Amino acid sequence: MIRQRKEKLSALALAAPLLLFLTVLVIWPVYLGVRTSLSRDLLSEFEITPAGLDNYRAVLQAPDFWSALRFTILFAIVVTIIEGILGFALALVFDRKFPGKKTLFSMVLIPIMIAPSLMAVMYRLILNENIGIIPGAIQKIGWDISIFDQRYIFFTLVALDAIQYTSFAFLLAYAALQNIPQDIYESAAIDGARYRQVVFRITIPILRPALAIVALLRLIDSFRTFDTVYILTGGGPGISTQTIGIYIYKTAFITGDFGLASAASVTLVLLLVPLMPSIIKQFRLDVK
Amino acid sequence: MKRNIWATFIASIFAFIFMLPLLGAIYNSLRTDNAIASGPFVWEFDRDFSHYKNAMGAAGYDFASFFQNSILISIGTVLLTTLISLPAAYSIVRLGFGGAWLLRIALGLRILPAVFFIIPFYKLFTNLTLVDTVRGLILANTFVNLTLALLIFSSAIKELPYEIEEAAHVDGAGVFRTLSSIVFPLMGPGLAAVGVLTFIFSWSDYLFAVVLSSSEATPVTVGAANFVTSYGVRWGDISAAVTLSVLPPLLFAILAQKYLVKGLSSGAIKG
Repeated sequence: MIRQRKEKLSALALAAPLLLFLTVLVIWPVYLGVRTSLSRDLLSEFEITPAGLDNYRAVLQAPDFWSALRFTILFAIVVTIIEGILGFALALVFDRKFPGKKTLFSMVLIPIMIAPSLMAVMYRLILNENIGIIPGAIQKIGWDISIFDQRYIFFTLVALDAIQYTSFAFLLAYAALQNIPQDIYESAAIDGARYRQVVFRITIPILRPALAIVALLRLIDSFRTFDTVYILTGGGPGISTQTIGIYIYKTAFITGDFGLASAASVTLVLLLVPLMPSIIKQFRLDVK
Repeated sequence: MKRNIWATFIASIFAFIFMLPLLGAIYNSLRTDNAIASGPFVWEFDRDFSHYKNAMGAAGYDFASFFQNSILISIGTVLLTTLISLPAAYSIVRLGFGGAWLLRIALGLRILPAVFFIIPFYKLFTNLTLVDTVRGLILANTFVNLTLALLIFSSAIKELPYEIEEAAHVDGAGVFRTLSSIVFPLMGPGLAAVGVLTFIFSWSDYLFAVVLSSSEATPVTVGAANFVTSYGVRWGDISAAVTLSVLPPLLFAILAQKYLVKGLSSGAIKG
């Protein structure tokens, strides 16, 4: 009995740093965020005054907020599909023995190890109109297009995101592929199944839960796209590539309207909350 | 075998495209300013490595101090994240503290967009005078990495044979003793995974750094991005600076690749 109580105390003591951290850096900030969203809080005014739901009304009527949301959702869906397919295809390529496999495996993982913001700086170097090798190569072929043109910018950003994050989808798909027992393939081979049949009838159905998680993770992460797009375009031309993250950041720290930006943040979270339980369920967390 | 050469070919194309930005930066960092000014495909080797010397301080940029900040922030975050999440994971998995809901809450955090927290953190850190300090950025990055560390540590602890801990218990070792002298030494792979991933992700942080630092605590990510806007035409120096900025996490990750792979997949997918 005493030992049990002692054990409970130790359990609490071990978890205490986490609980303290969550209280100070999660619960308190969430409260601060909600409070700010209900206040008139401008960088240009010293005083912060209660504003009721004014900021929410303003956000819901702001065309910039909706266009940022639309852009973010569209971008997230497109990159998730492209990176999921490319990552899975690459995982299938790596799911066999071939010359140079080990070195190439390390090489395709490199984008995971590079900060998106530093990647963005390097993109600027290779895409620069005067010194970049990509525009240089396009010119050599004889094409006359500018990849930062309003017409192509969406595809450019999708391609750049794919260069950074396909590795991530690849790695997770590859790890899941390693968990498929080899004898399933062997018996399929004995039955005379073709490669394509094996992929579509065996591999994909078995991997479905894992692939769903990969897609969910990419969807969640691409929803918070900020660094690369901000450094490359700053949300422009105009506001055509403004993600929701850039909208919130600019509203708070450039326009100086903390109240409005907080209302936008809270609205974003409220839009995501209904999805949370199903996402968490996908992970099948358990403690035993 | 014929088919396998195809696999090498396809994998090489992917590898080349993925590495193209880095190769481009290295390429420009090794060319003379003359060559860079003459066009993208003019090659003249810069024997003095002047761009690297400039980046490291010869030209008066603050890059060396950004570099130092990034190292301090990343190492500090690795330590704090481990210190908080390892005991908590043990408490959750082995002592049944909070059950699965604590992990679920942590996962919920992973889903919330980080941008939600930039304004509250800015306000909170201003009150605590943590804005523009390395300590402040360590706290913010610990917040970012906590979920993955908790998931990795809990799955690593689950894999340990419980009998060893039970034997220690029977021999009269308390919970703390068991954790520090039995569980901790067996956690090598889990610690390596959390270490390498937390290091990479805190080195990569841009959003919190741009909001919570102004000069003293600026890391390389913000430094390099500002570099492009303020010294726009010094392409060679920028290339050298960004190449150097990419290297530490890259080298660390290549050395610990096994743990990076295992950590990322166990943090996301069970098994």
